[in-house]
Amino acid sequence: MKKITTWARVKSPWVIHFNSGACNGCDIEIVALLTPKYDVERFGIKLEPAPRQADVLLVTGGVTHQCAERLKRIYDQMPQPKFVVAIGACACSGGVFQGAYGILGGVDKILPVNAYIPGCPPRPEALIDGVVKLLNALQAPPAPAPVQEKASSAPKAEVIESEAQKVEEAKSDVKQ
Amino acid sequence: MSNNEISILQVLEDKLRGKSVQIVPGQLGTASVKTSAGPHRDVIKALVDADEKTAITSITGIDLGTNIGVFYHVRTSNAFLTIQVELPKEKPQIQTINDIAPSAALHELEVSDLLGVEFEGNPRSGHFVLPENWPDGVYPLRKDVKASEVKLNPPSPEVKSDEGNLVKIIIGPQHPALLEPEKFAVLVEGETVKAVEPRIGYVHRGVEKASEARTYLQDVYLVERICGICNSCHATAFVESVEKILKTEVPPRGKYIRTIILEVNRLHSHLLTLGHAGLEIGYETLFQYFWRDREPIMDITEILTGNRVISSSIAIGGVRRDVKETDVPKIKTVLNDLRKKLPFYTQLYRDEPSIRARMQNVGVLKREDALKLGVVGPVARGSNVNIDVRKDEPYEAYGEIPFKVITKDACDTWARMNVRMDEVEESIKIIEYALDNMPSGPYRVKTPRVVPAGEAVNRVEAPRGELFYYVKSNGTAFPERVKVRTPTFANIPAFLTTAIGESIADVPPNFVSLDPCFSCTDR
Repeated sequence: MKKITTWARVKSPWVIHFNSGACNGCDIEIVALLTPKYDVERFGIKLEPAPRQADVLLVTGGVTHQCAERLKRIYDQMPQPKFVVAIGACACSGGVFQGAYGILGGVDKILPVNAYIPGCPPRPEALIDGVVKLLNALQAPPAPAPVQEKASSAPKAEVIESEAQKVEEAKSDVKQ
Repeated sequence: MSNNEISILQVLEDKLRGKSVQIVPGQLGTASVKTSAGPHRDVIKALVDADEKTAITSITGIDLGTNIGVFYHVRTSNAFLTIQVELPKEKPQIQTINDIAPSAALHELEVSDLLGVEFEGNPRSGHFVLPENWPDGVYPLRKDVKASEVKLNPPSPEVKSDEGNLVKIIIGPQHPALLEPEKFAVLVEGETVKAVEPRIGYVHRGVEKASEARTYLQDVYLVERICGICNSCHATAFVESVEKILKTEVPPRGKYIRTIILEVNRLHSHLLTLGHAGLEIGYETLFQYFWRDREPIMDITEILTGNRVISSSIAIGGVRRDVKETDVPKIKTVLNDLRKKLPFYTQLYRDEPSIRARMQNVGVLKREDALKLGVVGPVARGSNVNIDVRKDEPYEAYGEIPFKVITKDACDTWARMNVRMDEVEESIKIIEYALDNMPSGPYRVKTPRVVPAGEAVNRVEAPRGELFYYVKSNGTAFPERVKVRTPTFANIPAFLTTAIGESIADVPPNFVSLDPCFSCTDR
C-alpha cells in the first residue's frame, strides 16, 4: 500500500500555492510553470486550489503577521503526509524585507520546511528542479530503520500490499 | 510653465485671497500650497471646482519631529499640486475632505492607521492595513517607533457579524481566483451583490518604514520588490525622485534604455492580465495562449537586463547596462512575431461571443464616476477619461516618442480589457521607435551616495496606471521618508462601487479588469 501511495504521490503530486506576503515575482513564475513553455503537468504536477486535496504546499513570501495564521490553518487542513516548499529568497529567510515590521522572516519560523528554493525570483527551471528533487527524495528507499515497526503490524501491511498488487494486475488485465 | 499651469495657480490665488494660504510655484510638482487645517478644505474645493479631472493622487503623512505633516497630492488635467498642512503631534486632528473629493477616502484611512492622524468625518473602525492584533497607539511610521521592538497582541478569534437576510460570501485570503492573499466579503441577497467589504493588508510588509533604514542604493532593490510585475516602474519612479533632489540629468541613451525596459514591463504585464481575465471567465485556452506568447517577452527582459522578472536594471543616474547592438535584431524578431499574432487576439477580444457575454455591461463605471473616484490607468481610459502620465507629464524619452493614448467609451470590463489589448500594440511601436532612434553616448552618470536635503514628488505611468512617489532627504545616505501610492490603491473604489447591484458571478471578471496588484497596494 505504501508503495502505491508513494508511487501515486511521486507520479502526480498535487500542489497548493500560497502567497504569504511576496512581491508577485515568484508567484508569476509559478503560474508560468503551468503554462505551455514549462508545462509541469507533464510531470503530473497539478495545481490544486483546496488544501484538503493537496500534497505539497508551495509558499512564497516572507510571511506577514496577517498571513501567518492563515498559512498555519492551510497547513493543518492538508492531509498527511504533507510537504512544504519555500520558494524564493523571502520565503527562505525574509530576503530583502528582513527587519521590516510586517514580516516574520521565513516560512520555517512557523512551519517545517522540506525544500528551499532560493532566488529572487527562482527561474522556472530552478522550481522544476526543486520539486523534482523533493519527489526523488520521497521515492528513495527509506534510511535504515528510522521507525521501528511493531511485529504485529508488519504482516498486515504485507496483506494490504499484496491485495493492492492484485488490484493493479486486474487493472492491467482490463487494459490489455 | 505652460499657460494652463499658470491659470490654475491664478484661479487659486483669486479664490483664496485673504486666507492664510501661501503658494510656492515650482515646489513639489507645479506648486506647493502651504496652509493650515480648515482652509485646506477651501483649497481643495477651489481645485475640484476649477477642473473636472481633479483627484487626490495621494495623502502623505510624515513625522516632522514636533508636528505631523499631512501632504495632499492633487492632480488636475495639467498640473500637480501638493497642499501641506502641519498638525500638532499630541493631538493630530483634521477635517476630512472625503465629502469634497471622494477619491481621498482610502488615503485618509491609511494615514490614520499608520500615523495616528484623526480625520473628523471619516472615522476608522478597526485597522485598515495593519493586522488586527497590532497594539493600540503604536503608529509604525512615526520616528519614535522602532520596527524591531513592536510586540503584537495574541491573535483574537474572528467575530461573526449578523447580516440579517443577506448572505456573506468571503473571497480570500487564499482563493484560486486571487494569486495574492486578500479578503473581500461580498454580501449577497439571492445572487445580487448588496455590499463589498474589503480587508487589505495581508501583504503589508512595511516597505516605507524599511526604506528609511536602508541607503538610497539599497532602496532601489527594496522598492522594486514592492511589486514583481511592475518592478521597473517602481525603480524608475524612485530613482527619478532621487535624481530630482540631486539635480542629476540622465544621459539621453540612459533615458531611451529606461523607456524600452518600462515598455517591455508593460507588455508582459498586459499580456499576463489579458490571459488571467480568460481564466476568470472560464476560458482557459485563452489564458494558455496569452501566457505562451508572454514567454518571448520574458526572454527580451532577460536579454536586456539579465533576469526574467526582477530586472534590477534601473540605477540612480542611468541604467546598469547598455543594450548591445547584436541584441537589437533578436528583440525586433520577437516583437515582430508578437505583432503578427495581435490581429487574432484583438478580434477575439472584440468579437468572441463568450468574452462579450461575460464582459460587456459588467462593472459599468460611467465617466463622471471615474472622474469622481479618481481612478487611474486603463480603468480610467476604459471609461473615456484621457489620462496618461506619459503624455500629461512626459518623463524619460516619452516626450520624443510618438504614441497614442488609447481610450474607449463603453465604460465596462470589456472596454478596460480592450484598452490593454490596444496598448500592447502601442508598446511594441514605442520599443521599436526607441531601438531605431537610440542616441549614442554614455548610459549612466556617477552620482554621490549622500543626497543633499530636499524633497521631490514623481509620477510614472505603470501598467496599472499612475504610480506616485514622494521622497524626502535629510542630507544623509538614508532617506527621511519614502511614500508610495500605487495604482491599484486608487482603483479599488471603482470595484467597490461597480460590483453593487450586479450578479455574484460577475464579480471575478469585474475585479480582474482592474488588474489588481495587492503587493503594490499593501507595500
